[in-house]
Amino acid sequence: MSTSNAVQEINRELARRLVEEARSNPQSAYAGKLVGIANGQVVAVADNWDELARRVRQAEPDPRKTFLIEVDRDYDKVEHIWGLR
Amino acid sequence: MPRALWPLLHHRPVVQVILALAQGGQPLVRNLLADTGAGTAQGAFELLLEETDCLLCGGLPLPGVVLGGAYTGTYPIYLVRVRVPILGVDHDLPAVGVPAGPAGFDGIACFRFLNRFSYGNFADPGQFGLET
Repeated sequence: MSTSNAVQEINRELARRLVEEARSNPQSAYAGKLVGIANGQVVAVADNWDELARRVRQAEPDPRKTFLIEVDRDYDKVEHIWGLR
Repeated sequence: MPRALWPLLHHRPVVQVILALAQGGQPLVRNLLADTGAGTAQGAFELLLEETDCLLCGGLPLPGVVLGGAYTGTYPIYLVRVRVPILGVDHDLPAVGVPAGPAGFDGIACFRFLNRFSYGNFADPGQFGLET
């Protein structure tokens, strides 16, 4: 596994734990927030994407070592693209 | 109020956006099908782009999203810097990355993006536009 893949796995696992924490504890600092992770650590918490992206890029210029999450978002929900391809 | 208008492309409404490359150089100009039937006002993404464009632009990865309809399966989302200069738009927006956009287009401007603006033909049936 390459270094960036390994970092991605660690980042995703941390994101999963943050989501679990926010779901079980609405008082969590991450509830309702956008969270930026780099190299297995939370490096930014923000209320909008512009601010989050700026701070994450500052912390880690290589996007492959970063991961962002909208903590309250249900990413398993199916979203439809009705147009034809 | 600023208004951007583009001639219809393949007789369909289009939005032209500019994506900055991660490594510098000429930015990418992309013609996106304006499609109110793509996603929802509260969806996880605002644009649908080719994944190669998301990566060229240094898109920051987010969790994948499950799509149904014209695209089915799980696709990655990236946060990508998007500009529409005439409207003063210069934001990081979530874009779902797919192998290829709809035929004749580079991607889709989804409902959540279009819904940021007033949109329509502004009394010219040969054009489509956005107004802030």
